[in-house]
Amino acid sequence: MRSRSILVAIVGALALVLPAVAGAQDKPRSGGMLNWYVYGDPGRLDIHLESPLSVQQSVAGVYSGLLHRDPAEPTKIIGDLAERWAVSPDGKVYTFHLRKGVRWHDGQPFTSADVKATLDRVLNPAAKSPRCGSMLRPIVASVEAVDAHTIQIALKFPAAPFVEYVASAWCVIAAKHVLEKFGDLSKPEAQIGTGPFKFKRYERDSVIEWEKNKDYFIAGLPYLDGVKQFVLKKGELQLAAAKAGRIHLWDTWPPLKKTEADELKRARGNEIDIAQNTINTIFLVYMHVQKPPFNHPDLRRAVHLALDRQELVAKALEGAGVPCVVLDPKLAADFALPLEEVQKTPGCRQPKDQDIAEAKKLVEKHYPSGVDVEAAVRSVGNYVDRAQLVLSQLRKIGIRGTIRTYESAAGFAVFGKGDFVFLPTQDRAMVTVDPGDLFSLIYTTDAGSNWGKWSDPKIDELAERGLKETNRDRRKQIYHEIQRYLLSGAPSALPVAWVEGYHFVDKRVRGYKFAPTVYDNNTMMKVWLAP
Amino acid sequence: MPDVPRRVADAPAAAAAAVGAPVVAKGVDRESMAGAEIDRRRGVAEWLWWFARRQPLGLAGAVIVLVLVVTAILAPALAPHGPKDAAFPQYVAPGTEFPMGTDHLGRDILSRIVWGARLSLYVGLASVLFGVTVGALWGVVTAHFGGASDTVSQRVVDSLMALPPIILALALMAALGQSVTNVIIALAILLTPTAARTIRSVALSIKEMPYVEAARAAGATEWRIIFRHVVPNTLATYIVLVTVNIAYAIVVEAGLSFLGLGAPPDEPSWGGMLTAGTQAMETAPWMIFFPGLAISLTVFGLNLLGDSIRDLTDPRLRGGLG
Repeated sequence: MRSRSILVAIVGALALVLPAVAGAQDKPRSGGMLNWYVYGDPGRLDIHLESPLSVQQSVAGVYSGLLHRDPAEPTKIIGDLAERWAVSPDGKVYTFHLRKGVRWHDGQPFTSADVKATLDRVLNPAAKSPRCGSMLRPIVASVEAVDAHTIQIALKFPAAPFVEYVASAWCVIAAKHVLEKFGDLSKPEAQIGTGPFKFKRYERDSVIEWEKNKDYFIAGLPYLDGVKQFVLKKGELQLAAAKAGRIHLWDTWPPLKKTEADELKRARGNEIDIAQNTINTIFLVYMHVQKPPFNHPDLRRAVHLALDRQELVAKALEGAGVPCVVLDPKLAADFALPLEEVQKTPGCRQPKDQDIAEAKKLVEKHYPSGVDVEAAVRSVGNYVDRAQLVLSQLRKIGIRGTIRTYESAAGFAVFGKGDFVFLPTQDRAMVTVDPGDLFSLIYTTDAGSNWGKWSDPKIDELAERGLKETNRDRRKQIYHEIQRYLLSGAPSALPVAWVEGYHFVDKRVRGYKFAPTVYDNNTMMKVWLAP
Repeated sequence: MPDVPRRVADAPAAAAAAVGAPVVAKGVDRESMAGAEIDRRRGVAEWLWWFARRQPLGLAGAVIVLVLVVTAILAPALAPHGPKDAAFPQYVAPGTEFPMGTDHLGRDILSRIVWGARLSLYVGLASVLFGVTVGALWGVVTAHFGGASDTVSQRVVDSLMALPPIILALALMAALGQSVTNVIIALAILLTPTAARTIRSVALSIKEMPYVEAARAAGATEWRIIFRHVVPNTLATYIVLVTVNIAYAIVVEAGLSFLGLGAPPDEPSWGGMLTAGTQAMETAPWMIFFPGLAISLTVFGLNLLGDSIRDLTDPRLRGGLG
């Protein structure tokens, strides 16, 4: 009887204590260093003038935007430096009311002058801002600082994705005095933001480190003492670091392949969570339309027909991807053409015999004995493998490629200048979840990643109409028309597939949520480490 | 058993016989040529027998090298598929259809190994012939003229030899860019100083020989002395340098390709194949096993052969041959 009483007492005590312990486990805890990695050396760090993920990831925690995706609920857009915002009845003027008392990492006060300086910078056509500027330029008419804490942005027309664009992780606010002092944001010493972390150090090809901003404008955040991003360029190094438990999470690009995820699961077991994700990223093949042989549409069409996208997804992405589509139905829903329709189009249909025969004829018409091209490839992710697969497919139609590799940042510099003939593989991640993002990023004449210098008035016109159209059904029809036009023509950037893959998070990492794009939620502002 | 070759002077003749070069003098009549042919064949057979008994490991090395050479020459006929054709399923284990399996892109590993032999041999031979020849001429000329030019040139050699070879090769490849030709140039630059230093030491002793003095007394120019009297007498060392360094060049090429700075990635380089294999060591261990085996066997064979040739040409190791 007595022993039973003791047992009841113990159970009762546990019932009281365990929830408290569990609560303590879930209660954010300050301290600790988060170890992360970046797939390539970022080189220049100017988030407004560069476009690689490695740049955005390297400085993400340093800056704040006017708006951003809620780290706790990434599908929702909330205020960041802007406390609140309002839109005029005609949908053409947005007024942002800024937080007061915010200071830059160097102690200077943040005002609307900084917002105006930033927006003027990215909107300047000469700056060629490839992400933020590329999105906002077609829409924004003017920016005005109403007072020290109010900014007004007038649009050329009511644009459906404007708020998405302003909330993008690339449209962060830089300090006016820093821009005046350094001229740009390329150098580590120019990384002065208002974000949860201060930029501490950047050792080329080695590590990027942030430290906690104790004066961050949201009290109590961030929880971490700092974040270290190790520059790990090769897939096998990334996997080895993950298997050894040297990094806490991987959430961006390149995602792990199935075999790598399985290997990691075997090595780390229950210490990590692995999830398959769409990463809002498209795998493209680029051709320069002003340089032979791809200055002729027949050659571009031949490449389009010859690419076996299903094989590329099966081999290069180990099946994790959606082949052929211009917009991914998983991400763009009914804005994307139905998969069944796309799969019947020339270039995507299976078997490939008819398309390859047609492609061969197109090449032979201009180059009876075939043609040699130099294939430029950034040596990041599994690009070199992908390039070999693409070239193996193109050899069947008489296009013979030799691979020339570039370091990540050097490759972007070359591609941006148009110093290439053929890029057999290059992923482009979308900045927002808006379906129009793809076209303003890649296909319009002024698109930030229109590296192949393609210009088609019809695409420009349709893309602009898509931005202006506020009726969802009519907008959907416009985007369907663009997709059909791209699939039946000879653009410089050929869609191969939308990329998917595997990410992992160490179970000690708390407060982290996967975001709809690889750029969002990289500030780590609400992340903390459990003991 | 005949003691061939008995003297150093016999070595070129024996070597010429071994490769089937005509050893008969001009003006010899047809009958005596036929007799010489029989003698030559018997000579080759005897020489091979002598070599096999004297250097059994060297013979094993020679057989491996011969297989490598034949594979390289006949690669288009021997390889069942194109080395770049990614037309098959990925990660197929070795079996009847693919004796060495397929890689991560669905390419036949056997075909890539066969074509890789051609690339390895080409890079090895070209870089060594180029590097060692330049180095040898450099060594002979500076040794012969001596003085300030010799001192300065030796300091240049010192500087090049002070750099760790793989670091120098990586730096050169980073500067030159990724291509097979640039690998050859980088390896040649790597091999030149060692060859220059080695051949110079041989040339220094040769230039003091009485026959050089006699040639000079007879009015020969310095360049005639170099090319008629000094260079021919450094040939034995030159041949050893070439043989030994081919293996070294193949290993460095594989190393550069493994580090992503050697041959372009789509070329079937054994080193590049090893790199690809490291990504799938657990899934497809055959991806690293076969290229690793090919590199090991080739280097083993070349080293065995090189050691044997060195032993044969080193008077201290020739035992009763002198």
